[in-house]
Amino acid sequence: MAMTKTQRRNAFSAFRYLMLTFWLLIVAFPIFWMVSTSFKPDSEWFAWPPVYISENATLQNYLVVWADVSEYATNEKGELQTYTQSLQRPWEALGNSAIISVIATTLSVLFGSVLAYGVSRYQILSEGRMFQLLMLRMVPPIVLVAPISIWYSSLGLLDTILGLVMLYFLTTLPYAVWMSKSFIDEVPREMEQAAEILGASRARTIWEVVLPLVRSGLVATFLFILILTWSEYLLALLLSKTAVVTLPVELSKYQGSTEGRVYGRQAALSVGITLPLIVVGMIIRKHLARGFSFGMVRR
Amino acid sequence: MSRIELVDLRKEYGNVVAVKAMDLTIEDGEFIVFVGPSGCGKTTTLRMIAGFEDPTNGEIRIDGTVVNEKEPGDRDLGMVFQSHALFPHKNVADNIAFGLRMKKVPQDEQAARVKEVSELVRITHLLGKMPAQCSGGESQRIALARTLVTEPSNFLLDEPLSSLDAKLRRELRAECDRLHDELQKTFIYVTHDQEEAMTLADRIIVMNQGEIVQQGTPMEIYSDPVSYFVADFFGNPAMNLIDGEFAKSGDGMEFKSGHFDIPLPAKFSAVTSGSGTLGIRPENVGIGASSGGATIEREVELVEPLGKDTLLYFETEEARPFVAVIEGTEEVKRHANVTINFPDDAIFLFDANGDRIR
Ligand SMILES: Nc1ncnc2c1ncn2[C@@H]1O[C@H](COP(=O)(O)OP(=O)(O)OP(=O)(O)O)[C@@H](O)[C@H]1O
Ligand SMILES: [Mg+2]
Repeated sequence: MAMTKTQRRNAFSAFRYLMLTFWLLIVAFPIFWMVSTSFKPDSEWFAWPPVYISENATLQNYLVVWADVSEYATNEKGELQTYTQSLQRPWEALGNSAIISVIATTLSVLFGSVLAYGVSRYQILSEGRMFQLLMLRMVPPIVLVAPISIWYSSLGLLDTILGLVMLYFLTTLPYAVWMSKSFIDEVPREMEQAAEILGASRARTIWEVVLPLVRSGLVATFLFILILTWSEYLLALLLSKTAVVTLPVELSKYQGSTEGRVYGRQAALSVGITLPLIVVGMIIRKHLARGFSFGMVRR
Repeated sequence: MSRIELVDLRKEYGNVVAVKAMDLTIEDGEFIVFVGPSGCGKTTTLRMIAGFEDPTNGEIRIDGTVVNEKEPGDRDLGMVFQSHALFPHKNVADNIAFGLRMKKVPQDEQAARVKEVSELVRITHLLGKMPAQCSGGESQRIALARTLVTEPSNFLLDEPLSSLDAKLRRELRAECDRLHDELQKTFIYVTHDQEEAMTLADRIIVMNQGEIVQQGTPMEIYSDPVSYFVADFFGNPAMNLIDGEFAKSGDGMEFKSGHFDIPLPAKFSAVTSGSGTLGIRPENVGIGASSGGATIEREVELVEPLGKDTLLYFETEEARPFVAVIEGTEEVKRHANVTINFPDDAIFLFDANGDRIR
């Protein structure tokens, strides 16, 4: 029997929700597993059949990781095991990560958007140059490590906060330029010229007309780059691992050959790494929806 | 008192010449309308006057002072953009007050002037709204108000009504006219619409390929076009323009085309033979009783009564029919054979380049 238009639309909509639900399950499952594991006692980390939601939920993992409660646990073989707490400094890593990624992201978005404004309005970079800028991101990061190590060691930047800030700032700059340019391009020239001919200075025009219209876009750009720098692992591991440890590097320390795999602790740390981003995302979600939909500018 | 002079003004974009050597003086309080085909340099001229484009060559003077180096905001100009360019994040009142705020007008005076100008363009009920909540016509009025409120001596309007429907256009056109009368300021207005040009302008500037091809009052342009292009552009219904040949005939000249062979009036006896165009305005075509001038017999293809007038269509070799306008009271039947009369002084001739032959 042929379907009516409404039936077809409903069927399509049902199909769409089915696909989205399926997708959501795939994406959300690792997160669920991380949260669930972080509350499991040791015995359930490796249990088979797997425990989805522990009946013996405990805060132990969190206490050990974040409150530095010394503890004994059993490893896979059932042997008692102490953790070398001295190697683990999650709060310090959290602080480092926060400082490094916030400063690097701020610099990146600041310089990137100014550059993007120049490109959008004054063509200070040709299209070729803009593409070259993006090409920088196509170089696998590992390729950069050797030369940068040598360079950094002679500059004394190895294992320093400044070293990582500079590196993150420069490697994310292309994203910042490209993303913010797409938002600035959306603001019609005539809007600025209207302000200008009404007597507004260049600075005022940017402050009162351009900035409010691209603010959401810049916030979206900021979050995007914050996520990149917050979760960067490779460069941080290779260029800075003893004195300055970031959260992703810290996470890797809970997975050593001598200590066995301490999934619960890792999960508890991972939750701590993920939460700040979620909180930031919640705070600026109004901007995100608008920023990614270019909602403000009506042509 | 404010007079705008363009002296030998030129603008090139790479190897595109947008405006060639333009000389024009615009007097205080004049309503100037720029018309011309797309790409002829109208917007470029306006933007150079506003200061958004630097001329490649030449000078712009306002009140005798060269303003080439002045910023747009320092030229005592107001501009209304085709896109309205309202600030979408500010409400209507803040949009209108923007220019006053930039000029550091005291707060209470700002409010008074916003109120005054929004009464003038009849948008007081919109002041609290956001631009996105306003219709096209409303946005247009707001854009106008935002410019009016700063009281510039000169207004630049780039196709301000082109995004509106016909009825609204007529309405706002009348509004523009009223404002010009009331304010006695200089208006420089760009349009594609011949009716807008005819009804608004004190002086029409017709441009083509970066040059002024003719300027004059609407009546001058209408009754004495210098070229095929100008003749074709002004008037509604448009002038009948028939392509054909000029040829010797006895001791005079004759115009020949498939459907129309017309002996030319004596004043054209010196016209050189060759291809060209004959033009006559539909309202000057005589039907029936001859009033002097050449006549031909033709079958009426179509009759279109418009009330006051009636349009008669005749078949031609070209896509465009030959049109005559008669009084609505006269009665002509479709397929009737009528006498078409070409009064001597209603005939325009154009040569193969489209230039007027006098
Ligand atoms: N920024 C630019 N870069 C290069 N060429 C340009 C630029 N602006 C205008 N031109 C060219 O200059 C010429 C005149 O353009 P302009 O916009 O002044 O025409 P216009 O008369 O306003 O046309 P329209 O009626 O379509 O608005 C055109 O050939 C156009 O392609
Ligand atoms: Mg234009």
